[in-house]
Amino acid sequence: MTAAELGARIAAGPLLLDGGLGSLLIAQGLEPGRSPVHWNLERPEAVRDAARRYARAGSDVVHTNTFGASPPKLEAAGLAGRCAEINAAAVRLAREGFDGTRCIVAGDIGPTGLHFPPMGTATHPELLAVVTEQAEALARAGADLLSIETMYDLREALAALQACRTTGLAVLTSMTFDQKKRGFFTIMGDPLVPSLQALAAAGADAVGMNCSVTAPVMLAMVREAAPAAGVPLIAQPNAGQPLATPSGVVYDADPAAFASDMAAMLQAGARLVGGCCGTDDAFIAAVRAAMAGR
Amino acid sequence: MAHEELLAGLRQAVLDCDEPRAARLAREALDTGMPALRAIDGGLVPGIQEAGRLWDEGEFFLPELVGAAGAMKAAMAVLQPALAGGGSRELGRIVIGTVQGDIHDIGKSLVATLLAANGFAVSDEGADVPVERFVTRARELDADLVCASALLTTTMVQQRTLVEALRAAGLRARVMVGGAPVTPAWAAQIGAAGFADNAVAAVAVARGLVRS
Repeated sequence: MTAAELGARIAAGPLLLDGGLGSLLIAQGLEPGRSPVHWNLERPEAVRDAARRYARAGSDVVHTNTFGASPPKLEAAGLAGRCAEINAAAVRLAREGFDGTRCIVAGDIGPTGLHFPPMGTATHPELLAVVTEQAEALARAGADLLSIETMYDLREALAALQACRTTGLAVLTSMTFDQKKRGFFTIMGDPLVPSLQALAAAGADAVGMNCSVTAPVMLAMVREAAPAAGVPLIAQPNAGQPLATPSGVVYDADPAAFASDMAAMLQAGARLVGGCCGTDDAFIAAVRAAMAGR
Repeated sequence: MAHEELLAGLRQAVLDCDEPRAARLAREALDTGMPALRAIDGGLVPGIQEAGRLWDEGEFFLPELVGAAGAMKAAMAVLQPALAGGGSRELGRIVIGTVQGDIHDIGKSLVATLLAANGFAVSDEGADVPVERFVTRARELDADLVCASALLTTTMVQQRTLVEALRAAGLRARVMVGGAPVTPAWAAQIGAAGFADNAVAAVAVARGLVRS
């Protein structure tokens, strides 16, 4: 899917993204702490089923199980050298999960784990090389577009974007911001609106925010960013605050409250909405119902 | 340079993330006869505490905090040998790491750096550390404290396993937990002795835990 084709889809109406993936897989038995990328090889039916659930819930766009499938992350997961194979498997599983629906397969790209100084020693060419390897693997396997998510360093986001653009596919780029006293910033200190504008100027086809915050906080970000971003805005908040319970970690938001916040974000100008940590297909179905009722 | 001026300079060098200047001023301080302890307590510690305050205020971000800790470390490298003569100032022995399955390193490293800069003997085990490794190191070092970071809701359960494993091993080390999804309620629920939601707080909590 080219930038123009994505633009036409968004012009026709807002797009509903998917929700969290890791939590769905954990519910299926993925050991907490283990990278979900393993399941592209070990439990393909569970990965396929996650995509199917989001497709049924009404997602227009479903992400591949490749958030941690950049070469450095794969190496950390004990899967060094298997970037092409794992990314290809994930694209195939997402596509099979949709099974004939009209979903867009977004090749998911998360932070590489490499850091620029002073946090680390990574260089721009290094970042570019590893993201290019993953982006090309996703593109070759037939991803419709590429989706960079949860970036907390604008320099890495820009490097990832540059790498993704070489594939010719449309590219979504989303960063993660916290609320500080002076506004919204990444942990590295990148401010919300200037960061999104930099990404738009560098050729991102949609820009926005995911993770870190709950829907009410993200609504405030949308109100600030939507008029200024320059390209369609993405919003994917977490389900709520994680709460530890004897049976495990749960989130304190319910799908109805989440959907009402997401409807407000659409009202405020967001064009691609979905969920991040703690959200599942029930959340996405609730947002779909809210969108239908607008 | 007068002592007061040197102390203010050290404090500012930390805030400016200026490693060479921090090291140079530390040497000057020793050359003028200032006790190393005074340079630390009157210059470096106020600097790093101010950095922590600016972080809380949203004025400093991770690069500044890491830079300030780096400047403090550079000065400490100069001052440490002078301290050794006057008796060890080691506050306690700490084993720190990010739990297994979690490769988030930044926050944990920052805590480790600040703990070391504040006088603890710190063994940083890195990220993706199995519970058995924490236990082994705690036993080897007779650690006072084991600090475990978890940045994912999916890995924080390892913190509970760690508390249980240390207890089962009969070790005296107490546990401090931290990381984005970790709350005081979670710490209490799993039986961790301490919780900190940032690196500056971690130092204060660690001080309290090794004293009590």
